[in-house]
Amino acid sequence: MGQAIVITSGKGGVGKTTSTANLGTALALQGKKVCLVDTDIGLRNLDVVLGLENRIIYDLVDVVEGRCKVHQALVKDKRFDDKLFLLPAAQTADKHAVSPEQMKELITELKQDYDYILIDCPAGIEQGYKNAVAGADQAIVVTTPEISAVRDADRIIGLLEQEPNLEPPKLIINRIRQHLMDKGEALDVNEITTHLSIDLLGIVADDERVISSSNKGEPIVMDPTTKAAQGYRNIARRILGESVPLMSMTDSKGGVFSKLKSIFTK
Amino acid sequence: MIDGVKCLSKQQGITIRGTKDGLVMRFDDQMGYQELLIELNAKLNEGAFDGQAEMTVQLGHRYLTNEQKKDLIQLIEKNQKIRITKVQSEVITVEECNQRLIEKQSETYVGIVRSGQIVRAQGDLVVIGDINPNGRVIAGGNIYVLGRLKGIAHAGANGNRNAVIAASWLEATHLQIDDVLETMTDELTVLSEHPEMECAYLHTTGRLVIDRLQELRRIRPDISTFKGGS
Repeated sequence: MGQAIVITSGKGGVGKTTSTANLGTALALQGKKVCLVDTDIGLRNLDVVLGLENRIIYDLVDVVEGRCKVHQALVKDKRFDDKLFLLPAAQTADKHAVSPEQMKELITELKQDYDYILIDCPAGIEQGYKNAVAGADQAIVVTTPEISAVRDADRIIGLLEQEPNLEPPKLIINRIRQHLMDKGEALDVNEITTHLSIDLLGIVADDERVISSSNKGEPIVMDPTTKAAQGYRNIARRILGESVPLMSMTDSKGGVFSKLKSIFTK
Repeated sequence: MIDGVKCLSKQQGITIRGTKDGLVMRFDDQMGYQELLIELNAKLNEGAFDGQAEMTVQLGHRYLTNEQKKDLIQLIEKNQKIRITKVQSEVITVEECNQRLIEKQSETYVGIVRSGQIVRAQGDLVVIGDINPNGRVIAGGNIYVLGRLKGIAHAGANGNRNAVIAASWLEATHLQIDDVLETMTDELTVLSEHPEMECAYLHTTGRLVIDRLQELRRIRPDISTFKGGS
């Protein structure tokens, strides 16, 4: 029996889809069987970020309306032999085409065959959000170090805490620009976690390569040399139950002493 | 003879006497209300009052509805140069009693009041946790926050202008006491740099004022229910 994790944020554009693609890929790289579910009906793009757009035949709405079986709609990512699958959202229907009950049923069915089901939630707190949360056991809230994103995260955490079947939500702070935090021009990690007071699952550095890799359909996590990839890999390991210390965002330009120190603190 | 008896009963129904707090009109609580009203009319028509007088009406163990009280006050004030300052009764209904109990009660909320959430209490409200921006707490009585108040707080919501809002960290976006709403904009001079341990209350001028929490003892001594001690 697998675990279903919804990835949500309230505000749009903070990196829900990117995080879903990267965490799914990272979990698959760790040898887990993963299914990604795009619930952003009408505005799907998880397929694009994964580079699977051309292989879609059926979608989520086809499944819930009985036009095909679940396994027919699942798109396999051939780069990870039988480890990573995507259930794409429909592009032509709207969010009312699916009900929370139907989603719950679908996710329960998927949990039989997969270790992790990551549900990519649309922005907002309406029907699409309710559908995405319906079948989940856990929730990850993605935010960025901006006040607007943190406010919306606070709202969504309040809603998630009222879901009886959900574990307390965990937080990912995405798009961290260390130099802005150092100058005090962006909220720092501590401020955000105190304000939202939920467990921090991990932090991800802002990196231009995230954009270029998304455009190529290759999640950044596949290139382990980038800081963003390390961030996502660490989060995946924490989801698997490992205890991984929070990575340092500052570049290790320091002398021998600080390098020695970093070895010991690892 | 018969007239004399009537006269006697009238005097027993309504008595007026002077006390150190002013004139008191006492209604016998065993007599029929209609009889009392007749007697009252007769008394007022006697014209026994001259000049202005303030008066308290004591009903004893008689219960009057708000309408009846209003009618009574009108009746008296219409005929004479009397002003009724208070109508006192020894009894209240069970409903009123329950309402008062609820308003006296203190409710406790443990947790964070997040954006979009509303926490309401009939009486006093104690929040153990933060109130985040766009989170709202509303209380009929006082609001005490053991945490950071960064959202909206409305105390004395049922018309209690003596209510206060106190917080370990008072950084609210909006504060309201009864119907006086204040937005905590930067122009407000009362806002402090370090908003630790502060309270908000309605000043006698009717404005909402923020002061140090230590001053609460002096500003609203009635909040303390602790009697005696050493």
